[in-house]
Formats: sequence, structure tokens, C-alpha cells
Amino acid sequence: MNDELKLIAAAKAGSADAFADLVRSYRERLLRFLLTRSPSYADAEDALQDTLIAAFRYLHSYDPRWRFSTWLYRIAIRNAARLRGPDLVEIGDLRDEENDPLQQCIADSETDNLWLSARQLLNDEVFAAMWLRYAEDMSVNDISKTLDRSASWTKVNLMRGRRTLETHMNGAANQAYG
Amino acid sequence: MDKLARQLRDDAQSIDVTISDELDRRIDASLRSVTPAGEKRRAVPVGRPALFWWASTITGVAAAIAVIALINWSEPEQTAPPPVDLVATVPAIDLKAETAMLTTPLQEELDRLQSDLRKAEEKVKRDIGL
Repeated sequence: MNDELKLIAAAKAGSADAFADLVRSYRERLLRFLLTRSPSYADAEDALQDTLIAAFRYLHSYDPRWRFSTWLYRIAIRNAARLRGPDLVEIGDLRDEENDPLQQCIADSETDNLWLSARQLLNDEVFAAMWLRYAEDMSVNDISKTLDRSASWTKVNLMRGRRTLETHMNGAANQAYG
Repeated sequence: MDKLARQLRDDAQSIDVTISDELDRRIDASLRSVTPAGEKRRAVPVGRPALFWWASTITGVAAAIAVIALINWSEPEQTAPPPVDLVATVPAIDLKAETAMLTTPLQEELDRLQSDLRKAEEKVKRDIGL
């Protein structure tokens, strides 16, 4: 049994310390992801806290056949959607640039950060699929489980997302050289 | 890893976030205040459900058998008894042998009575001088 499974077993038995150790390595990654989907940094922090509480409370429902990170991200996506409310459908609608928490967390020298463009160019789910694939290095199967979508949907939309970003990158490069 | 994938990975890592001490304390405090939903389940012994289902199944089957038996038990009292074939129920008798067995003593009695009658007639005749 590896360390993660031991910690999961202890946390299932009610140990908050074991759960805290279990999720320690995921917290920053989750916060980074939630930041791309929240209207403010404080909301992202709240979403992270809610995600971890929900994960601890319902840890008994975790199926060890899944990767733990997959299960955690699934909860995080639901929490972020709940925080944003039903009116805000697309990530690109979330905020003005001045108060954009993602923008604030990217150094001024990196204004060409592709995730800023991705958030403008891709819809909510495709953005999430791209993030899970390229920032979290998840497999297509894990992404489809996390997003509750079929594997074929995930493959097609990852392809579309890539094509959109590549076109954007090439356009930006042409502008720079033109 | 191609150029796009590498840039997406690097750009994600360049998003600067930190878990502040205040957030750390908040998360820690809220985790300690939470009771995992699974703990309530653990109060029930793990081996019990399978045994429970077996017991339920057996009880159910026994109850079904009892109901069927009760229904069948009470049915003859409620309905008229079917006509009994008496001929079929009486064991067959060898009539010739039975007749001989039954009539022999009677015949002897009859002979004795006729003999007594003849004696009485003769006595009466003697008495009246015929």
C-alpha cells in the first residue's frame, strides 16, 4: 500500500491530520486552477476551502480505482461552478482585466501567458479539459471522468482547444514579426 | 512534448499562488470541525449486511411456506367434502365363504327348533289321545 492509500485509509477513519497531509501537495495546484475560474482571489480561496471540506466529508465515497487527484478536481469544478452562480456561463465573462485575479498572479513580464488567452478563446469545459491535460498531465480517461464527459468528447475538444491556441500563437507570432 | 504543451505547462506553473498562513489555519480549523459522513456507516459491522440478507431471505422463504401451508390447511374446512366412494373404500369380501360361515349356525338352530316343534306336536297328540 503506498503512502497516499495509507493516508486515505487513515482519513477515512476520521483523521483530519491524515487528510491534511494527503491534500497538502494538491492545495496550490487546486488554488491555481480555481483562480482561473473565480471572480476574485478570495473566491478562489473559499472554493479551495469548500473543496477540501467536501472531500473530507465525503471521502467514504472515493473509489480507489480513480486517481485521487481526479476525484479532487471533480469536486473543485463543482464548487467553482457553484460559487460563480448560474448567470456566469463562460469563464471569459468573469471579470474585468484590472481586477482579474489570474492576471494579478501572472508577472507583468509574462503577459503573453497562454492561459489568459485560453480563457478568452475557449469555453468553460474545453478550458478545463485543456488545463487538466497540460497543467495537470491527466490522461484523457481521467479528464473525461472529471468532467463527466465521454472519452471521445474529451479527445475531440482537446484537439479543438489545441487548434484554437495554435492558431492564436501563430497569429501572435506573425504580428510580432510583421 | 510539443511546443504548445510545453508552453501551457510552463505558463500554468508561472501563475504565482501561495497558501497563506491565514488560509492554512482556516482550512485546518474547518477540517477539524468536519465529521466525515462515512463514520456513521462504520458503526455497522462490515460482515453484517451479507448475513442480514441471508437471514432475510430465509425468513422470507419460511414465511411464504407458512402462508401457503396455512391456506392449504384451511381450505378443506371451508369447502364441502367431496363425495366418498363407499364401494371403493370397503374392502372386497369373498362372499361364498362368508355366506357359509354365517348360515351354518342358523341352519343348526333351525333344525333344533323344528325338532323341538315335532316333539311338542307328538306330546300334544299323545295328551289328547289322537
